[in-house]
Amino acid sequence: MTDIQADLARPLAVARAPAAGRQRGPFTVQPWLYLAPALCLLMMWTYVPLVEAFQLSFYQWNMLPTSPQRYVGLTNYQRLFALPEMRAALWNTLFYILGLFPMSVIIPLFVAIWTQDLEGRARTIYRALIFVPMIVAPVVAAILWRWLLNEDQGLITLGLETIGLGRIGFLTDPNYALATLTWITGWKLIGFSTLLFSAANAGINASYIEAARIDGASRWGIIRDIRLPLLSPTILLLSMMTILFGAQWSFAYINVLTNGGPLKSTTNIFYLLWEYGFQTMSAGWSSAAGMIAFAGFAVVAAACMWLTKRFAVYDN
Amino acid sequence: MTIDVSPDLASLATAGPKAGHARRLAVHAVMILLSFLSIFPIYWMIVTSLRPENEIFSTSLWPSNPSLENYVFVLTRIPMIGMLINTTIVSAATALLQVVTGLFAAYALVRWRMRLSGVIHGLIALSWLVPFQVTMIPNYVLASRLGLLDTLTGLIVPNAAHAFAILLLYNAMRSFPTEILEAARIDGARSWKILWQIVVPNMGAPIASLSIIAFISAWNEYFWPLLLSRKPENSVVQIGLQMFMTQEGNLWGPLMAASALASLPILIIYLVLQRHVIESFMKSGIR
Repeated sequence: MTDIQADLARPLAVARAPAAGRQRGPFTVQPWLYLAPALCLLMMWTYVPLVEAFQLSFYQWNMLPTSPQRYVGLTNYQRLFALPEMRAALWNTLFYILGLFPMSVIIPLFVAIWTQDLEGRARTIYRALIFVPMIVAPVVAAILWRWLLNEDQGLITLGLETIGLGRIGFLTDPNYALATLTWITGWKLIGFSTLLFSAANAGINASYIEAARIDGASRWGIIRDIRLPLLSPTILLLSMMTILFGAQWSFAYINVLTNGGPLKSTTNIFYLLWEYGFQTMSAGWSSAAGMIAFAGFAVVAAACMWLTKRFAVYDN
Repeated sequence: MTIDVSPDLASLATAGPKAGHARRLAVHAVMILLSFLSIFPIYWMIVTSLRPENEIFSTSLWPSNPSLENYVFVLTRIPMIGMLINTTIVSAATALLQVVTGLFAAYALVRWRMRLSGVIHGLIALSWLVPFQVTMIPNYVLASRLGLLDTLTGLIVPNAAHAFAILLLYNAMRSFPTEILEAARIDGARSWKILWQIVVPNMGAPIASLSIIAFISAWNEYFWPLLLSRKPENSVVQIGLQMFMTQEGNLWGPLMAASALASLPILIIYLVLQRHVIESFMKSGIR
C-alpha cells in the first residue's frame, strides 16, 4: 500500500505504445506464464479481497468461521453515518493530513531552496543525517518519542519544566495527543522530503536563473517565478502522497501509543477500520467503513492526478 | 515557521563577503537544527540503553558507567535472537520474491505486445491505491483458511508481488535497447535465456535499489504481522517490540536496548550502503 514516485511523476496512465519490432501476431501463451505469478498474487491478495470486502459491507458477521453471515442491505452504512465515532474519525483524518503538510511539503520546500548553495562535505553529512528517520521502523520511532515525551522523566518534559512551562501530557491530554502523533509521523518525512526537493531544485537549469538575474529579478522573484513553478511536479507529488497516505502512515503510532485515545482524540478512519474489524469483531461495519474510505480516497486521487496534469510545469 | 526569503536577504547575499558569510552561517544553522532533530532521538535511544538502572533518569549526554545489562535483560526476557532471525528470513525472502515476480511481469510487458497489456499495466498500477486496511478482513480470512496464521510463510506470501516492484523494473527495462533483444531472438535464443543472460545482467542497478527498499520496508512492516502473529517466537521483531512495550512499558533501559537491537541491522545496512540507500529511496519514492 505504498507509493511509487517513478510512476507518479509520469501521469499514472497506461503503457505507452510499445516500440516497433516486438512480436505481434497470434495469441502466445508465453507472456501470460511470465505474468502469472505477479497477477495471481495481486488477484489473490488485493482484488478478490477488495470485492469480498465490498460484499461483506452488506452483511453482518462476527468473523467466526462457524457463525453465519446475515444480509442486512445498507444498514451498515446508515449506522456508520449516524455514529459520532465515525464523524470524529473522519475529522481527525483530515487533521492528520493537514498537520502533516508543513512537515512533508512546506518546511522541506523552503529549507531546500534556502540551503541550495551548500556544497561538498558538509552537504554530504547533512544529507546522511536527515535521511535517517526515513528508515527507522515506525514502532521504534513510536517508542523513541514515547520516551522523550514521557510525562514523568522524559527529556523534553524535564526541559520544558526547567524553562518553566510545566508538564504537558503529550500523549495523555486530548488537546495534544493528535498533534504529538502528527509530529512523530512528520518526523520520519521531513528530512526525506527536503532531500527530494533539494534534488529537484538542483536539477533546475542554471541558465534560467542567470537570465532572470541579468534582467534584474530579485531573489524572491526568482523563487516565485522560476523555482516554484519548476518544482511544482515535486510539490504536487509530495502533497498527493501526504493526502493519500498520511492517515495510513499514522496507524502504527496510534496503535502503539494511544489506541485511539485519550477520549478518541487520536483515532482516524484507518484505525477505526481496525477497531471494528479486530477489536469489536464486526466485519460488516469495518468493511462498510473501508468502502467509504476507499471511495473517498479514490476520488481524491483522481482529483490529484488531474491537478498534476493540469498544473505541473515540466521543463522539457 | 517559515524560512525568511525576503528580497532584502537577496541584497544581503550580494552585498559583500561579510553578508555572504552571515547567510552561510544561517544556512548551516538550519541544516544543523534539522540534522539534530533527525538524529537525536536515536542517539538518546543508544545512550539510554547503555545506562545502568540507577542512572536511567539521568540527563547526562553519556552514561558515567556504560553497561550492557539492559541488553542482557532483553536477551534473557524475550526471544530476541529468534525474532531477529525470523525478521531476516521474512525480509530477505520478500525482497527476493518481489524481484523475481517483478522481473517476470516487467519482462512480459516489455517484450510481448499484447492487446491487454494496457489493462494489465493499469491493474498493476492501481493495486497500490487499495489501502491494506480495506482488504485486511478478507486477507485475514484467506490466511487462516490456508493455515498461514502465526507462520513466517504467511508474512511473506501476500507481499511476494508488489505494484511498486513491477513498475520500477518495468520502467528500467523499457529503456533497454530493443535491438539487442531482437538480435538475440533472431539468433534463436529462447525468451527464458534472453531474460537471464541478457536482460538481468544489465539490470543490476534497479534490482539492487529494489532489493534495498523491499528489504527495509519488510523489516519495518508492522500491520500485517500484527494481524497474523500469535506467539512472539513465531513473529518478527516489530511485534516483539510492541509486546515488550505493552508488558514492560516503563523499563526504559531494556526498552531502548530492545529498540536498538531491532534497528541495528537496518542501521548497519545504512552505514555500509549509505549513498546507495538514499539514492534508491529518492529515485523510487516513499515506502
